[in-house]
Amino acid sequence: MKSKKLKVSISAVAVASLISGLVLVGTASAATETCKVGAVAGNTVSTNAKFTVQNVETCDGKLANGAAYRTLKPSNFGGTMFFYVHGFRPSFPYPGYTPPTGVEEVSPYSANTKSDITAQMLRAGYGIATWDRVSANGMHGWNVDDSVSMLKELVQKTNTKYTDINKTVVYGSSGGGPVIQKFGESNPTLVNSMGTFAGLTAVGNSLQSACDLFYVLSVFADPTIKGCAAFGVSKGVPGHMAGLAELGKAGALLTAWSKNLGSPELLHPAPLVGSGIPQRSALLLAGLLVGLPTKSAHMDGISTSAVVPEQSINATIAVLENTLEALATGTLAGQAIGELTGPGFYDNTKTDYSALLSEEDSGRFNLGLSGDDAIAAMLSVLKAAPRIKGDPAAVAKLAVQDKVTYKTPVPAILLSNEADRLVFVGNTVLYTDRVTAVYKAKLAQFEAQLAAGTVKMKRPTLGAVALYALTPETYTTFTSTGLPDLTGPKAVSGIDHQSFTQEQMFTWVRLLAMSAKSGQTPSAGTLARYTANTPYLNTDPDFRPAELKHSDW
Amino acid sequence: MGRASRFLGKSAVERVNAVNLRKPLILTVVASALVGSLAISSISASAASDPGVSSSEIVLGMQLPQTGAASPGYNKVDDAARAYFDYVNSKGGVNGRSIKLVVKDDTYKAGLTISTASKLINEDKIFAFFGSIGTQTHVSIIKDINRRKIPDIFVNSGYSGFYTDPKKYPTTFGGLGTYTVEAKILGKYLKEKYADKKIGILYQSDDFGRNALAGFTAAGLKFEAKKTSASFVAGTQGSIGLASQLSQLKANGVDIVIIAAVSSATAVAYATASAIAYKPTKWAVISVGADATTFQTILGSKGVPAATSAAMLAGTISASHAPAPGDATDEYVTAFKKINDDFNKGADKRWDNNVMQGMNIAYLATSALMGVGKDLTRAKLIAYLENNGSKLSSAAFAPLGYSKSTHEAFTGFWLGEYDATTLLAPIDGKRVVYTTDSGSGAVTISDYKRPAIAADALPKVA
Repeated sequence: MKSKKLKVSISAVAVASLISGLVLVGTASAATETCKVGAVAGNTVSTNAKFTVQNVETCDGKLANGAAYRTLKPSNFGGTMFFYVHGFRPSFPYPGYTPPTGVEEVSPYSANTKSDITAQMLRAGYGIATWDRVSANGMHGWNVDDSVSMLKELVQKTNTKYTDINKTVVYGSSGGGPVIQKFGESNPTLVNSMGTFAGLTAVGNSLQSACDLFYVLSVFADPTIKGCAAFGVSKGVPGHMAGLAELGKAGALLTAWSKNLGSPELLHPAPLVGSGIPQRSALLLAGLLVGLPTKSAHMDGISTSAVVPEQSINATIAVLENTLEALATGTLAGQAIGELTGPGFYDNTKTDYSALLSEEDSGRFNLGLSGDDAIAAMLSVLKAAPRIKGDPAAVAKLAVQDKVTYKTPVPAILLSNEADRLVFVGNTVLYTDRVTAVYKAKLAQFEAQLAAGTVKMKRPTLGAVALYALTPETYTTFTSTGLPDLTGPKAVSGIDHQSFTQEQMFTWVRLLAMSAKSGQTPSAGTLARYTANTPYLNTDPDFRPAELKHSDW
Repeated sequence: MGRASRFLGKSAVERVNAVNLRKPLILTVVASALVGSLAISSISASAASDPGVSSSEIVLGMQLPQTGAASPGYNKVDDAARAYFDYVNSKGGVNGRSIKLVVKDDTYKAGLTISTASKLINEDKIFAFFGSIGTQTHVSIIKDINRRKIPDIFVNSGYSGFYTDPKKYPTTFGGLGTYTVEAKILGKYLKEKYADKKIGILYQSDDFGRNALAGFTAAGLKFEAKKTSASFVAGTQGSIGLASQLSQLKANGVDIVIIAAVSSATAVAYATASAIAYKPTKWAVISVGADATTFQTILGSKGVPAATSAAMLAGTISASHAPAPGDATDEYVTAFKKINDDFNKGADKRWDNNVMQGMNIAYLATSALMGVGKDLTRAKLIAYLENNGSKLSSAAFAPLGYSKSTHEAFTGFWLGEYDATTLLAPIDGKRVVYTTDSGSGAVTISDYKRPAIAADALPKVA
């Protein structure tokens, strides 16, 4: 089975994951703020946004540290200002990649459709603000704390400038998640609601899985892969290049497998040579152990053909399609975080990989995994394989990296794709679980006070709700020979990172505005109404997607 | 006569089988039941807060392969169950409520099992899952169903892992005896009967095969890997074949070949053995892999005449918890067959094991719903099954094993041998029912006396 269409260019994917979603709109050139009133054009992707918003005041300026910011205020401004925090950006130049500078994404942006919802938001009367959290003043890498400070300055500055702002929303994407969560906890009086889309909430847990992916591939395919053990050893460009070298090894491996869909038998390690276990089974196992989605942009995990005869083979190709981007993230973010923790932040000496394979996955994907005997053999090899011993100090630093308490009174709404291959949907599950636990504890306290007749607190409300963008039921298409068509249109919803429909993003924004006004998360009825009217948003109130494989909570 | 075994639960092809009702043991007879109607539609049922139950209706949901490679045979179970429910509804329903069965075709693909489960829950607003077919598919949703506290009753899978730890899956109850129970019973017989023969096994390398293997091992049979034990990856039998496995067993002089696999694999194994001139003294097949309907349908699709496939199956040893569908002397068979004739609107209503299994679990579900009473809730149904399920009768020759410590279904099987007409006839002409559990319990002869079915073929449960 060969699929030339699955050939993956390591550099292309890496760069794509780096710069996906960048919309350069210009930078302020003056030290002081400059404003102008003019038109803002809608994007050409959405039929709902093919319009121009007139009389928008656009102001450009710089924060105290020199970082550029931009605000956009429509003439019909209703009092709600949205402050956007974009995702992680590597700030060192790589071959083929130039770090972005200045203000880029100004509103929720979909990487797949390459469109934002700036025009829709302005037309609805929402104000917009954002800033350059990457390139100013020599900042590099994983700068959550710096970003929180800059965001605070921008919020205060903007609220001082526009006295008609009565509600403030802080929202953003991906690696902006920790910034938003920390800001909400440290500055609850400055924000009325907050939200993330495709948002990272559990930094250490997510990175552990990315590192596991490198590790498992090193055991089953390429022992020269050091993976996360190579991250953080050097800083700056040399460190990032070392990380990219690791990514390159994995990329070469996956590219080779993509040409034959991993059909050949395993060539590593010795105990499995001659076992008849195909490489694709090891790849699928790796994906399942780290929680990679078994749906991808083109593979629905269900559809079959002459070449893809069973659902779990479809899922295996989905894992193949998803893996490189997950590894790219592990590399780029891992190196950046490694510069904060120091090398050796990854330690898998205590990881029980057998426990990471769920009963559901073992049964559902049994054929793709080549049956119970093969599963047992692969897990046995993993159990016996030498582990990576980390530096306790670095491991401890990662464990507390960007930790939050989940106790902010600011209501939060999270939007995630069920098959996000980069920031796994389990991040959202984990966040809402933790906030729900806080809520339940408060509720119990309140009810105890109520029973005792000594009520000293307001009745608590649930602090966070999640919106999930789902995929269509099936969407894989095949060529005339039965090969999956991996160059055709992607699924319209639920897949890839930071890729949502215009409708999904705008529904999220409207709910955030609503929460800012009410001070609470939307009611179940409101959520049901909005999700029902937004294609592919989950309408099941009890929906629970895949959890993260690692959770220290 | 056909045979009576049961379903199966794993991989790509599964099977249904027989049944048999029995009379309630301690059930009080409701006055309305005495007059021939279990529930009078004029009786106003109490309003319930759980989804899928109203004053006039109970909505159940079933998932199964109605189409696709795994569908032959199984695609008759839903129509059979619906026929029985329609019959119950024609008699007034259960406590004034009619039973509605909503069915989703998952084509035996777990991804569709997940999406169709969501539709059953959120769009069809079902009260409970009922009779869903397939281990590999059901394992994909069982955790979620239980998390939501939705009853998941009479599952057509024999995988013991679903049932033997109610703390793990508190809402799930079996609709088939477990593979382990069947294997223990079959294994004990083979070990004693063929003590001088070399016994080997062909099993699929998954939950089903592992489950059965555990049962045979518990029965004292010993297999040697790569010699008298051969495995394959479920789902590959059609494309890769089983030649290497059968050649291995042949080369190692295996006289008695046990098959713990789905019917499609059984069909491939028989054809392969014929091709390599391997003639074991005896085949012994776990019931879901020996279902005659499926076996013959699969071989028929490959151009094998029915007479030929019947001859291939003849002499095979298997097991069943219920009467053979072709057993015209059995009162449950007679009663269910009549209902099938009158109420089954399916495309293929030919009477067989699949139809019988569908009827029997519908009969049991009706019994349980009656037993809970008017104030029907999900929690009460689960509690009822745990506390009273073992007292419910059916066509089976063994009771349900339900209790607080296990949710496994039928705890007994009788052993038979297929004759030339694909009827599973009791070995030595006398049906002996053996009983055991999925744990370390011994295999003993059952003293269970199946209660008679009522004249109106309705359960008599208070």
